[in-house]
Amino acid sequence: MKNRTLNRCFLLVLAGGVSLAMSSLQAEPRTWTSSDGRTLEAEFSGTAGAGASAVVKLKLPDGSVIDYPVSKLSEQDKLFVKGNLPTDPAALAAEIDKLVLNKLKESYYGLKEELAALPQKADLTPAEKAKRQEEIAREMEMCVPNQMTNDNQFLRRIYLDVAGRIPTYDEAESFLNDRAPNKRAVLVDKLLESEGFVMRMYNYYSDLLRIREGITMMGNGNLKVDPYMEWVKQSIREDKPYDEMVRELLTAKGKIWEEPAVGYLVSDQGMRMCNLSNTFTIFMGTEITCAQCHDHPFEEVYQMDFYKMASFMGETETSARGGDMMMSGGSDYRAEVDRMNKVLKDAGKLRPNQNTDQNLGQWIGTHRTQVVDSGSNAVKLPHDYKYDDGEPLAPVKPDTYFGDKMDLSKYETPREAFADWVVSPGNPRFTINVVNRFWKIAFGLAQIEPVYNIPGHLDGQAQNYELLSFLEEMMKDLDYSVKDYFRVLYNTQAYQREAETLTPSLTQVDKGTYHFPGPILRRMSAEQIWDSLVALTTADPESVVRRGWDDYKAVMNVDFSSLKSADDILKWKQDWSQASKLVKYNGEVVSREDTVGGAQMFRASELRQPMSADHFLRMFGQSDKQLIENQFTTGSSPQVMALLNGEITNRVLTSPDAYLIKEIAYGKGSTRDNVDKIFLSVLSRYPTTQEKSMAQSGMRAKTDRDMNEQQKMQAEAMAIGNVIWALVNTREFMFIQ
Amino acid sequence: MKDELNRLDQLSRRQFVARAAKTALGVSILPIGAATRTARAAGGGKAEHCIFFYMSGGMTHMDTFDPKPGAETGGQTKGASTGVAGVELAEFMPQLAKRFSDIAVVRSMTQKTGDHRGGSYWMRTSYEPRATIIHPSMGPWAQTHLGKMHDTLPDSVVIGGGGEHPGAGFFGPALAPLPIGDPDKGVQNARPYSGVSEDLFDKRLDLMNTFDDSFRRKFQTDEVKAYTQFYEETLKLMKSEDLETFDLTKEKDYDQKVQRYGNTRVGKGAMLAKRLVSSGVRFVEVVSGGWDMHNDLWNAIPQTGGQLDQALASLIDDLKAEGLFEKTLICVGTEFGRTPIINANGGRDHHPRAFSTMFAGGGISGGQVYGSTDDKGVAVKENPVEPKDFNATIAYALGLDLNKVVYSPSGRPFLVAGHTRDPKTDEIVTSGHPVMDLFS
Repeated sequence: MKNRTLNRCFLLVLAGGVSLAMSSLQAEPRTWTSSDGRTLEAEFSGTAGAGASAVVKLKLPDGSVIDYPVSKLSEQDKLFVKGNLPTDPAALAAEIDKLVLNKLKESYYGLKEELAALPQKADLTPAEKAKRQEEIAREMEMCVPNQMTNDNQFLRRIYLDVAGRIPTYDEAESFLNDRAPNKRAVLVDKLLESEGFVMRMYNYYSDLLRIREGITMMGNGNLKVDPYMEWVKQSIREDKPYDEMVRELLTAKGKIWEEPAVGYLVSDQGMRMCNLSNTFTIFMGTEITCAQCHDHPFEEVYQMDFYKMASFMGETETSARGGDMMMSGGSDYRAEVDRMNKVLKDAGKLRPNQNTDQNLGQWIGTHRTQVVDSGSNAVKLPHDYKYDDGEPLAPVKPDTYFGDKMDLSKYETPREAFADWVVSPGNPRFTINVVNRFWKIAFGLAQIEPVYNIPGHLDGQAQNYELLSFLEEMMKDLDYSVKDYFRVLYNTQAYQREAETLTPSLTQVDKGTYHFPGPILRRMSAEQIWDSLVALTTADPESVVRRGWDDYKAVMNVDFSSLKSADDILKWKQDWSQASKLVKYNGEVVSREDTVGGAQMFRASELRQPMSADHFLRMFGQSDKQLIENQFTTGSSPQVMALLNGEITNRVLTSPDAYLIKEIAYGKGSTRDNVDKIFLSVLSRYPTTQEKSMAQSGMRAKTDRDMNEQQKMQAEAMAIGNVIWALVNTREFMFIQ
Repeated sequence: MKDELNRLDQLSRRQFVARAAKTALGVSILPIGAATRTARAAGGGKAEHCIFFYMSGGMTHMDTFDPKPGAETGGQTKGASTGVAGVELAEFMPQLAKRFSDIAVVRSMTQKTGDHRGGSYWMRTSYEPRATIIHPSMGPWAQTHLGKMHDTLPDSVVIGGGGEHPGAGFFGPALAPLPIGDPDKGVQNARPYSGVSEDLFDKRLDLMNTFDDSFRRKFQTDEVKAYTQFYEETLKLMKSEDLETFDLTKEKDYDQKVQRYGNTRVGKGAMLAKRLVSSGVRFVEVVSGGWDMHNDLWNAIPQTGGQLDQALASLIDDLKAEGLFEKTLICVGTEFGRTPIINANGGRDHHPRAFSTMFAGGGISGGQVYGSTDDKGVAVKENPVEPKDFNATIAYALGLDLNKVVYSPSGRPFLVAGHTRDPKTDEIVTSGHPVMDLFS
């Protein structure tokens, strides 16, 4: 309660700050029009609240001031007020908290009433009544807001959610020792600007967009994913507005080393229909795959709708042919390739019964993979189309089945019209989709599950409609700034409460009746586990980034006529193979000593995408990047064996030379606090007295009087290793509370 | 306007969402769990187990099971007599030629796509690759139909597979085949790290349980409890004899067997597969590469072909000696064949139009060739067999119901050997059909 009052005061101060700008607005009375056409003469005298519950303060001719909901104003008047609505994260967070608390309360009393009425329910058997009574009790428990997190809990969670890993020892110390009252908000700001946020969000996007080495569904080993990867990372880093980012993914054309955003369409090379389904799932939370073959069984989506939508992308090709290839390598690349094969053969550089060089053929294939607008629409109804509104194999004109109708004459290609339609304010699913998905990142569960299947008629079904529409408006007001959106969520008390200790029932998830007394307890994602382990091996886990592919662009755009001799060609072949295959870190081909399963201890977002199927990351559920959101967090025996017996817990983290032991336990402060330092590093908290004495007794048992200092330290280090091993194997380490 | 016939009656939206919610919460069934065998479908074959040899890269039919010595496309490959008049295998398969009465060769395989990934995907799943779903491979299909075979051992294992195996597809990670990279190394991390004694291991576990106590008491969620159970099950597994099953060096007469099977990936893969199957694993896939012979084919084929020949022949002998041959289906598959025309580099390129596969044991009637190609080996002349039919044959041998519909979490219907709609009844039925001539 106290906090909210503070926020209100803050709002007033903020309003004072912009009073200059507002004074010109305040001067004259004007005519206000409501959305249903009624009018009122009044002076503008400020705003209050935010998002869906924002109000405009109107001073009537008699001097009285009324609050009028902004949502009920005409579009024109909404625009008039918009510039004066607060985008301050604390104010927006307070609004979200109000909505969450209201919903929890409402739900609590609703359940209480249901409980009271239960004995009189004639249609239920006694057994059913007893069962329902139990459920109600459980659900009521989940209507009571959880306690606020303590600093340790908050610290660990915010690092994992925003930076994708646990805090290092230094980071934990510095936050816990900070006495500033606003240190949580400051930390959120700091982490949102960190490279850790870029890496964490990259992992999310790469699972969603299926960003993988070789990019295409069939994988082209010579097609380098780095340009696309870097484009996504840079978009996150510079906080490119989300709607703009999506638009670029849908409209980019050319080759990946020229226009990296083509990666999205190229991922589904040769699969136009699948790509359309994927676009709906990813950007509109709508599953329309079934409508490719028949009318949707649950929603109002007809097969014809699917083909009309697909037709927007009907002129887009992802595999260029002939003149569309826009080859570098000279005007007549084929003749050049023949010439080069002959040069190589004559110089004895091909094997006795070999006449063509494989690399040259692969180079051509790689150039073919690009996005081209062909000008002719390839979409036709399927050969077995059986409804009466179209003939099999008939061409289909692009048209939308919800949201705005698009005037194609205004666009150069139907694809651009489609992209505008997807991100337009008139698309009822675009913004809802992203706010729902991002809510899940922060809270562990979305408002509407599953996130890829938001019902068409939302208001009727969503329990949390008010909160969702608030978030939707807020995202628009924030101009689709991803960082600002998360900044608000992470500043809410709802987020900063302790994690829920009960598992929401499937019914609650399905109906959206879990109203967030706190975030859900989650197992870390595979990347969060890996990246946290990385954070236990170095002071600066983000110091190494995968970067540098200029040489790739150069070898791809080579002019073949410049490669005269066999040596020229061989040199180019070597450069090409290096540039396509090698991964560069900080612009160089570097390596770190510590490896696990052959992979260097760098952040997961910088490693091979995805890692090989038997690697630690995949074992713990890293997405194979074949399907949208294909990561998993379920357990398995191989995971447990990797933590019990694998090199990470038995060597990398626990050998006497390990970073945690050498640099933290023995490198910082007093060695008497070794156990404290290890606990803080691994679990972001200090040990209890009992835990500490148990850990220390292990150390004492290892050392005895006859040992010299060196031997004593060695024995102690081994005992500390046992503590690290044990801590990394706890559920407390694995779960985000 | 809604087409009533298209409604998925078996699965309401309610169930559909509940399944999705399960995924959202990360709650899933333990992969280690008691056997839950159900009755097998009537009319099935005799195979209780299957060992599937997957020849990755596109096995040349012209130089293994469908040689054309003398034809202009035959190349240097000579024939090896099978004892059956008019039937020869390639000279690189001498041991199998001797055991021809035990094997059945299909020479009329045909496939739609000439790219490795697409082709392997069709072969393993009977479905076209899509960017919206991953279809399951045969091992997980068998487990879904028949239940789990053994209390503690996994139902399916893939030896030497790469990252591109469809695995359990939409059945989810709980049914995923256990991957074993190197047959000699067995299960990763199955033993305490070198230098960690049993005593130390137990001490560490004590520490772990103490440190974790308050967390586990506070958060009794399904997921936390599931993880604690995983720890218990895994510790049990580490101490059980089942792990020995994966330890090839524990095989009786190890050195002598390595000699017979060949000290090669495919040889040791076959050895381990036999060991797993005799302990109760239902489905083992042995993946072996080196078949993408674009260059210098005759330089590579004696070795690659010979290794397969040696491994298969020894496996057949041992399964027979142990009385498992009739209960174990052996099959050999690949994504496509290779062009009869020899290219400029002395190799053969991708040829999906025609290729060969092989079956043995598990109710297969040996000593026969099914289907044929033309004189050059270019096209199928009679009895074409597609990947879905190949899988239907395996499924039939294992006693799986080819017409049983299983729904993906997104509510789409799928069948073990592909599906189509019966135009008369509008029901979803199998599109793959077993090659019945192969069965005795």
